[in-house]
Amino acid sequence: MAASRGRRLLWHGRRWFSQTESAVPPQPPDSLYPPIVASATAKSKAAKRRRLEHFNQRVHAAASIEEKLRLYGQLQRPKYMLYPQTFALNADRWYRSFTKTVFVPGLPPRAASAAAEAPGAVAPEAAKTPEGAAGVAPEAARAPEPGTAAPGAAKTPELAAGAAACLDMGELRSLACDALLQESFYQNKKRPFLYRDQDHTPGPFLTQLVSTLAAFLCGRNPLLAASCLDLKPEVNFYWHHGEEVVVHGHRKGRVDPVRFQIDDKPHLQIRVPKQLPEIVPLESDLGDVPVIDHKPSKLPLFKKQYENKVFTGSKVADPCCYGHTQFHLIPDKLKRERFVRVNLEDQIEVLYRANGIASLFAWTAAQAMYQGFWNEADVTRPFVSQAVVTDGKYFAFFCYQLNTLALTVETIQNNPRKNICWGTDSKPLYDVVEDGSVKGFNDEVLLQLVRFLLNRPKEL
Amino acid sequence: LFQGVRQAQWLTKTKLVQGLPPSVLRVIDNPAHRLEDHEEGVKRAISHARLWNTTEVAPRREHYCPVLFEDLIHLCRLMSMKYPSLTKRMLARNYKISATWERESILLQVRGLNGILMNSMAPIPPVASKEEILATEEHVLETFYPISPTIDLQEVNVYKELNDTGFRDGYPYSHPHTLFFLESANIRPNRFRPEQLRAKMLMFAFGNALAKAKVLYGNDPKVLEQPIVVQSVGTDGQLFQFMVFQLNTTDLVSSDGIKNLVWIDSDQNLYEKAQCIPEVKKRVVTKPAGIYGFQPDTFKKFLALYLHGTV
Repeated sequence: MAASRGRRLLWHGRRWFSQTESAVPPQPPDSLYPPIVASATAKSKAAKRRRLEHFNQRVHAAASIEEKLRLYGQLQRPKYMLYPQTFALNADRWYRSFTKTVFVPGLPPRAASAAAEAPGAVAPEAAKTPEGAAGVAPEAARAPEPGTAAPGAAKTPELAAGAAACLDMGELRSLACDALLQESFYQNKKRPFLYRDQDHTPGPFLTQLVSTLAAFLCGRNPLLAASCLDLKPEVNFYWHHGEEVVVHGHRKGRVDPVRFQIDDKPHLQIRVPKQLPEIVPLESDLGDVPVIDHKPSKLPLFKKQYENKVFTGSKVADPCCYGHTQFHLIPDKLKRERFVRVNLEDQIEVLYRANGIASLFAWTAAQAMYQGFWNEADVTRPFVSQAVVTDGKYFAFFCYQLNTLALTVETIQNNPRKNICWGTDSKPLYDVVEDGSVKGFNDEVLLQLVRFLLNRPKEL
Repeated sequence: LFQGVRQAQWLTKTKLVQGLPPSVLRVIDNPAHRLEDHEEGVKRAISHARLWNTTEVAPRREHYCPVLFEDLIHLCRLMSMKYPSLTKRMLARNYKISATWERESILLQVRGLNGILMNSMAPIPPVASKEEILATEEHVLETFYPISPTIDLQEVNVYKELNDTGFRDGYPYSHPHTLFFLESANIRPNRFRPEQLRAKMLMFAFGNALAKAKVLYGNDPKVLEQPIVVQSVGTDGQLFQFMVFQLNTTDLVSSDGIKNLVWIDSDQNLYEKAQCIPEVKKRVVTKPAGIYGFQPDTFKKFLALYLHGTV
């Protein structure tokens, strides 16, 4: 019997699709009949599988990345909104389980390559293994406090390493102190608006610091010379992870994937045209991902239905499509004093970690999607980005390597890969600003920031 | 300001010269600076600000105007690779200026949040030669009788005659270098027209220079030995106005004597049109999305004003 050709009606989502059967290639001689497949419209598990496969094929075959992203986020359903900056208790454990991330305390040892640029006196600190970022020991010869009325004059004696390309710590320190003093002391400002302390001083200080440091270091790091600095960009990501049964409504009883969306607004972000090098190989296993038995809504997380956005900070057409460093500012609502007042000191570090993990996961995953990867087409190379989370005085550094995007129920089963996040505890950059000078300036935090900014691919 | 730049000129006792001063033009024409290399970067900055910046289809002006400015300043700052003294600059946002002066028995003042100021450690050397300054003595200020020069200025009871640069003493970056004005309101009536924008730029540049002069040389009105130069750039995201102001005298009560000087280069387009969605007529794409009419000279002038004083 000849293969029947005709119009077929397919139900996908809420639309009827009309599809003509494509021209069937010449039948192999052992079969006179068309392939027997499950129906596509029946209310059966096989039909659901067939529809899912059809959807996956459509996304695989999408003509451009924008089309792929549009199809990926086409169906809108209620989803959990994840906030990177959250007051929820132990949020970093929950976020790690949602994003299949392993947290490794301390920073990865690849910083040793950038430390070759640093002056000789700082080398012992750079060769330190990546476990002791918290409780770090101060350097032996710390410079005296700079009274920065005359910046640039504080060339400290510890720079006696004669290497020609050594970093001038005095210069960097003076830049940082100048930015700090300008924002907090020299500029005549009105009193901060109620509960807007962060916009008054730490926000502008962070912007100034990063822009002047980036300009100062672009001679050493050609990647920075081609970079793009965004102020208050938007970063969004949408993904599925796990399964649940729909509780109420007309879809009650059906098994649905659990949908998440992160909408993040970092304070500052640097995007570059070339990807940062991988830190560890793609298949490395550095720890365990926590398993949480409760529903995500117990965190607390709330559901809403709106547009499923995937955005790195600028559209797909931008040549600077890879991420370098993000800078996050902790808002007033989540200040340290508030945590201390309700006896939750340990949650301060949790806040920083949760912010680092969630923001970086969203950013790296969005970058991966901009390159055409998604949960059915997993990443073939790791995506690396860095972040600095600060509240103006305390800085915490994070490094993230995205190894897998396959987090849905079907794809996670045979997937041994895990995403990895390295991070430090928060350390103060200075003690106090008084009378036009900065007391207790911590060189190491500044050095770590500089190392982050100097990070670049091997070939540059 | 009603009459625009002419009124501002009378109020600040300034003589206008069209075009940019020769020292800035020298920076532009100097081939050693290789301003052409940045064309690619500038085009990318414009595309980023106008096309790629947002999840919506087309960003609005209050979104793209500051982004364009930030990108251009980032490009300029990266030049500090070549000129290390450029790191001695600091941007100050949301700073407040106040300056008071008397002009033919009318007390005038300039106050408040104006724009973004770039400060530097070293002042800009005077742009006009001594002869030009002396030549301004003969120049007569335009008046527009019967319209009073103070028309549509707000009359306020002032209890303290303040002169404040916006920063405390001992600030290392004490010399105002360039003022940036961003007209980023979405609706056209909320934005300044180019003429009024130039007048605003002139008034605030004058205010900054005057406040600095009073700090350096005291409150007595006199002719300055070392004229103070303040630059100013105003834009609405597409059109750029460049201005270099030189304060020669703080003796502003009378209308004769040495005048101040200002060079204005107005209405420089950075690009003609930014097409966010391709224009389609009868199912055929007539104009694909992109930036049209890019003019590299405008960025060269921007960069030259940025580098002025250090090269």
